[in-house]
Amino acid sequence: MSLERPVPRLAGAWGALGLSGLGLAGLSLLLARQEAPAQLGPAQPGLWLVGITALLLLGAVGIRQSAQGEGHPARTVPAAATLILLVLAAEAALRAYAVPTGLIPTPSKVLEALWAARTVLWRDALTTFVYEALLGFVIGTLLGLGLALLSVRLRFLERGLLPYAALLSSVPIVALAPVVIKAVGLGVASKTIIVAVTVLFPVLINAVRGLHSAQSMHLDLMHSYAASAAQTFRDVRWPSALPFVFTALRVAAPLSLINAIVAEFFGTEGRGLGFRIQIEVGKFGLDVVWAAIVVASVLGISFYLVISLIERRILPGRR
Amino acid sequence: MSEGGSGKWVVGSGNGQGRVQGMTTLPASTPRRVRRPSNLLPMLAVAVFAALIYWPVMLFANQGAAQKALDSGADLGCKTALACATQLRNPVIPAPGQFWVGMRSLSAQPFSATAAPYNALVTGGETLLGLGLAVVVGLALATLLVRSRSFERATLPWLVASQTVPVVALAPMLAVLLGQAGVQGFLPKALIAAYIAFFPVTIGMAQGLRSPDPLQRDLMQTYRASGPQTFLLLQLPASLPYLFTSLKVAATAALVGSIVAEISTISFSGLGKMLAENSRASDTVALWVIMVYGAALGIALVALIGLLERAVTRWRPVA
Amino acid sequence: MTHSLLPTSHSPPHSGPPIVSVRDLGMIFPVPGGQTVALQDANLEIMPGEFISLIGPSGCGKTTLLRLMADLISPTSGQLTVNGGTPRQAREARSYGYVFQAPALMEWRNVLGNVRLPLDVMNTPKDSRAARAREMLRLVGLEKFERSYPWQLSGGMQQRVSIARALAPGPALLFMDEPFGALDEITRENLNLELLRLWRETGKTVVFVTHSISEAVFLSSRVVVMTARPGKIEGIVNIDLPQPRGEESREDPRFFQYATEIRELLRRGHE
Ligand SMILES: Nc1ncnc2c1ncn2[C@@H]1O[C@H](COP(=O)(O)OP(=O)(O)OP(=O)(O)O)[C@@H](O)[C@H]1O
Ligand SMILES: [Mg+2]
Repeated sequence: MSLERPVPRLAGAWGALGLSGLGLAGLSLLLARQEAPAQLGPAQPGLWLVGITALLLLGAVGIRQSAQGEGHPARTVPAAATLILLVLAAEAALRAYAVPTGLIPTPSKVLEALWAARTVLWRDALTTFVYEALLGFVIGTLLGLGLALLSVRLRFLERGLLPYAALLSSVPIVALAPVVIKAVGLGVASKTIIVAVTVLFPVLINAVRGLHSAQSMHLDLMHSYAASAAQTFRDVRWPSALPFVFTALRVAAPLSLINAIVAEFFGTEGRGLGFRIQIEVGKFGLDVVWAAIVVASVLGISFYLVISLIERRILPGRR
Repeated sequence: MSEGGSGKWVVGSGNGQGRVQGMTTLPASTPRRVRRPSNLLPMLAVAVFAALIYWPVMLFANQGAAQKALDSGADLGCKTALACATQLRNPVIPAPGQFWVGMRSLSAQPFSATAAPYNALVTGGETLLGLGLAVVVGLALATLLVRSRSFERATLPWLVASQTVPVVALAPMLAVLLGQAGVQGFLPKALIAAYIAFFPVTIGMAQGLRSPDPLQRDLMQTYRASGPQTFLLLQLPASLPYLFTSLKVAATAALVGSIVAEISTISFSGLGKMLAENSRASDTVALWVIMVYGAALGIALVALIGLLERAVTRWRPVA
Repeated sequence: MTHSLLPTSHSPPHSGPPIVSVRDLGMIFPVPGGQTVALQDANLEIMPGEFISLIGPSGCGKTTLLRLMADLISPTSGQLTVNGGTPRQAREARSYGYVFQAPALMEWRNVLGNVRLPLDVMNTPKDSRAARAREMLRLVGLEKFERSYPWQLSGGMQQRVSIARALAPGPALLFMDEPFGALDEITRENLNLELLRLWRETGKTVVFVTHSISEAVFLSSRVVVMTARPGKIEGIVNIDLPQPRGEESREDPRFFQYATEIRELLRRGHE
């Protein structure tokens, strides 16, 4: 990390990024006036597209330069700039072609929809995330851990149950969802159950593996202390199982939200992000669909990050 | 397939995790167990136990509906609600006999357009095609990720984040868009499956291309190996186990994608179409049959990838 | 660059220009919050046909010196020539073989395939590759395992495969980084004899890293003793034991003399 070279390079990167971003935003503004697609000649959008591509290339050069080195900006700027520039470029391109909102909405339209439909989306998110995904996740995790503990105590159960768990973890939930919804009803409970089932198997499999992963040297050590089974469990088996459990949880967290959404495709009582997406696709209200997807993504990423955070708290000294 | 689908959840604990540390898991590397007693007996015991539980649960679930049907004066050919619980035309949970009859009628002529086996094959074909596409795209993207650090820094956070985005939620919309663009038949569903599968494949491949240890790279350097030689002789083979691990994760997700796509498009075959039709007709027994076929299809896909893995990565110890 | 393994009479060292010349060589690694001086002011000339051992405490820069000669890293100061040119030219001419501290086998190639790897990369005539690889495997006593995969071999066997691999293209110069570190004493002594025979018969130049004083004395024509923090060459000991050497050389009184001399040098570095 020498200080001589990067300064001018970084300035160049900022310049390129700024120019590209401003250019794209400017294009979008210019295009905002030309609302009707009919006014655009066939040659014009092509010209706009050339401009957008050129600005994106400029941005790419900026991103490339800003990614040099090992500093904090070199790690964060490129990713942030990529997202911002791509969103701006999408905005400009969609406006240039005057693509109808019913086909692909511009990012700004999505933002508008996000604001306009905020109460509905809030309620949907509450239903899908809290009552279905989160609750199902917790139930599935607890059940999985409980079964794992039982399995490790009773070898017979492990040998009988685990092969099924391995098989069932490759079952697509869309096959499961209609049946559960038929049996349990259209309400929230059916989705909670579906999510719990899909979380259960990976947690069970990984927890059992983790509990078996204790190094024999450590177990021998505990044995040499004449430690009780409970002590061995607390000091060796459980700590070595935790990383495995958390890996399963990290994967399962966003998946639980996705699965809740998919399960909603098969019937709801008129609430939930999946329901919203399905209903709005039918009405070509794609701006609301995208808004719902944005909400779901933010929730999914946050869920993932929270689990990672807890993991880092509980497992210090890893990574 | 005693290890079967479980392989995809295995994690190397802590060390050896590459720079690309997304949500994908590492392939199991070293042989652990030598010889275990057969799982057949315990598995049978668990199956028998499940069958025994199934009966009272089914009776209990159907009783209410049967009572209602009796109250409304329908002639079910039975007297009490308990007796009628196995006779309902549209049970909450089908009795084994009913399920069997449904299974027979949907599988009798396996290759007719309305039979479940035929439709499962269609869906399976779409998914496999999608997985194939995903591998091509994933390999290209992974190579870029490994080659260019700026590209990695600019896109990797979003590639990881995208695994938390409900990509299946995009399926209904993509189906509409692709339909508008004139892409029809087999292809749109395969494209959607590919779209869902290429994220995990990309991350897994990138991890794999980076997995050779520094000494192996040094070794190639002492031979003055060219870039393509290092790629073909070192990086590509090293990445294969990672590819298959991520493919197993991707397969189930892609299967969900193609089924959801079938539901959302005007589809003439596939398990998704059958689900949609029978869901509308409220044919619970048929839904159960389709669930079993869907489950079998998911398991078969993962098993197929497992077989392919064994054939391609012959050097690895048999677990 | 294919050198045959045909027996040639062993020419005495110290003739002609040096095959490796190290002058005031320094290597500094930047580390978080400072730097590590891995090698400082190293001076050394290695003549064709010599067997040179590097010995010294862990972290004294033995691997670093070897990697510099092999052009796997570039020095931060000083001059280094290999084969009369830059290390880079030597690497590009594929003029050396390198045995790493760990086997670094490719787990998807069986034993034969691993030994064949350099021949595949260097595009030697296809029909002779397998035969050549088998010949090398016989040399390290693993001909019965050619179809095994690395995970089926013990650590020592893996290391022998990596030695066969380094020998396969027939390089005139061999860098060996603790190749026998993972072996039991008897296998180690057998392989020492094999290596000596190979060296005698082919006139190769060997640069050999070891932690064992007796191994260094037994094998080498000269032993380079290094010390740590910063990595330096503390002294060079000429080993004038008669060639060809065998088990009886270990009984030679001079053998103990040399061992003591090296031990003294190592001790001095520890103070
Ligand atoms: N790539 C590197 N980056 C930073 N420091 C390094 C690097 N390679 C080596 N070093 C440092 O240089 C010093 C010498 O390392 P080297 O590997 O040459 O030791 P060595 O003599 O081979 O030790 P050993 O006998 O344990 O193999 C050590 O202090 C090491 O920490
Ligand atoms: Mg070393």
